[in-house]
Amino acid sequence: MATPLQRDVFIDTIFEAAQSDRDVLFLSADLGAKALDRFRAELPDQFIHPGICEQNMIDVAAGLARSGKKVITYAMASFITARCYEQIKCALAAMNQPVTVVSVGVGLGYDNAGPTHYTTEDLACLRALPGVEVWSPGDAEATQELARLCLDRPVLRYVRLERPALEPLYHGTFSTVRDTGLAEIAHGDRVCILSSGYLLHRALEVRDLLRPEGIDLGVIDLFRLKPLDTKQLANTLRHYKKIVTLEEQCLDGGFGSAVLEALNDSQLHRPLLRLGLPNRFFFENGGRSHVLEKCGLNPATIALRIREFIAGQQLAQPTQTGNTLIANPARAAATPDAH
Amino acid sequence: MIMPRDPSKDGTSLNCQGTPTPHTETLAKLQDRSAWLRRTLFDMVMRSRKGHIPSSFSCAETLLTLFYGGVLRYAHGAPNHPHRDRLIVSKGHAAMALYPILADIGYVPEEELENFTRKESLLRMYADPGIPGIDSITGSLGHGLGVAAGYALASRQDGRDQRAFAVLGDSECYEGSVWESALFGAHHGLDNLVTIVDRNGLAIMGQTEELLALDSLEEKFRAFGWHALSVDGHSYTALQSAFGQLGNTDGKPLAIIAQTVKGKGISFMENRSEWHNRMPDDEQEARARQDLQTNCITN
Repeated sequence: MATPLQRDVFIDTIFEAAQSDRDVLFLSADLGAKALDRFRAELPDQFIHPGICEQNMIDVAAGLARSGKKVITYAMASFITARCYEQIKCALAAMNQPVTVVSVGVGLGYDNAGPTHYTTEDLACLRALPGVEVWSPGDAEATQELARLCLDRPVLRYVRLERPALEPLYHGTFSTVRDTGLAEIAHGDRVCILSSGYLLHRALEVRDLLRPEGIDLGVIDLFRLKPLDTKQLANTLRHYKKIVTLEEQCLDGGFGSAVLEALNDSQLHRPLLRLGLPNRFFFENGGRSHVLEKCGLNPATIALRIREFIAGQQLAQPTQTGNTLIANPARAAATPDAH
Repeated sequence: MIMPRDPSKDGTSLNCQGTPTPHTETLAKLQDRSAWLRRTLFDMVMRSRKGHIPSSFSCAETLLTLFYGGVLRYAHGAPNHPHRDRLIVSKGHAAMALYPILADIGYVPEEELENFTRKESLLRMYADPGIPGIDSITGSLGHGLGVAAGYALASRQDGRDQRAFAVLGDSECYEGSVWESALFGAHHGLDNLVTIVDRNGLAIMGQTEELLALDSLEEKFRAFGWHALSVDGHSYTALQSAFGQLGNTDGKPLAIIAQTVKGKGISFMENRSEWHNRMPDDEQEARARQDLQTNCITN
């Protein structure tokens, strides 16, 4: 059987609960899914298409939630975060409304779509808001457990789903780690890598690449970035001498930043290598893998960086670091002003 | 005494004393209410040197009609009653205009009016559900109609005869999200959703028709599928007649464009955008108090 998509797993789980609970409402700002077709057909009164109006969708969700409804809002990642950030801030976070905000296609998930569709800043943005939980499930099982959590323990929760199917990681064990927010997928020696979602699977590939060289890379799935259990994180990381973070986000304020802050607050001082995207927009064609490779986030380059890191070499990314003011040099040169 | 804020409090918890019903006072009593509300608000602002007098004064009769003119269903002293009508003053800078009313109907202790904006006190310049009777956070424009639409939809889904009202500023209608909400309310046939647009014609920087024209708001709401009408927003009889159409809108949400005067009741503030959040000096305060001795509402 083919590995199911995270969105189908999530929606099917909500559907099962919604069949016997009329208060469960699903709002989609024009993003479909195979599982959503069934939801719409069988529970038309519990499915609302608010138009491509993400701002209003979030405000309506607040009014529904304050009336006791269990509300799931759903849209493409870029549009359900940046587009309606102020609505999430005011109507949901500041009013402490237990709404689930589900985004699909995080990071560079919408292949070739470019800056409008990529969410390379959503972790930094959403984790900055008080009272928002931030989750990035790494496989179908984690996604299903998370959907159940959204129904059983509703809070304002930002759920980041990947567009492609992700291979199974947990094999029936996710429920035992769910509430800690992180899991050591592979125990290692001396150095470990933390990641989540799509790139977590790449981290496991890197572990396989390094093992023949005698480097036993620990792999940690930090699937709940907020609230971050700093004590649990520090206890897990204490064993390692060096730490790597891997994210499909611009490095400013994202995943690696959160880990660094937590380690600092725990007074656990370890060299930490942050791997992620440079602070620029991505216009280039070639798809997700191509852009990741260009940014040094292909398995071979990640492995190389870790080797250098272990050997005590530089912490900075080799290329494209810092605030690049010109988003894409080739594109900038082609503007009319340049001619 | 300062009443501490309780963020855990919101309108969704059960507290069922009394049955929410409309409260109807005579026209003479309503006219007295106009004078009472303006004087109370002026005192609050002069004491704290904070707040927005003209914006609060332009929607005074709208709010008073809702609470005392036989429109809103509420129970005295029961802000958490699950079946009371919902009201959002979405033009959050005028949310303070609700506070004397909330005190009068027993939602908020009377003495809190004197503590308005004092350190750690209950009543803020902008409102939020930590204040009993407040149904949404306000202060950022363009949210209230969407939240009200959520309330209205939930009420209908649950088979409750509960309405949701949103008072919008006319300049608030510059926000695109207002029109997203307008589409939503009409599409879902939310005839238990009402918006009152306080059409005082002024933004902070001048007249709306000179800055970026809004007219005709009535036609715009009608084009969006609402039952829309314009009325004199300082006339109780006109407002009551407009609200009287609730339930007779052919399944459409109701939009009342209330033609108002920003600063209504204080002669030198009326229709003057520069008074949006300016504080009167001593001489101006005396003149304003003189103006407020006379009731500016005649019908």
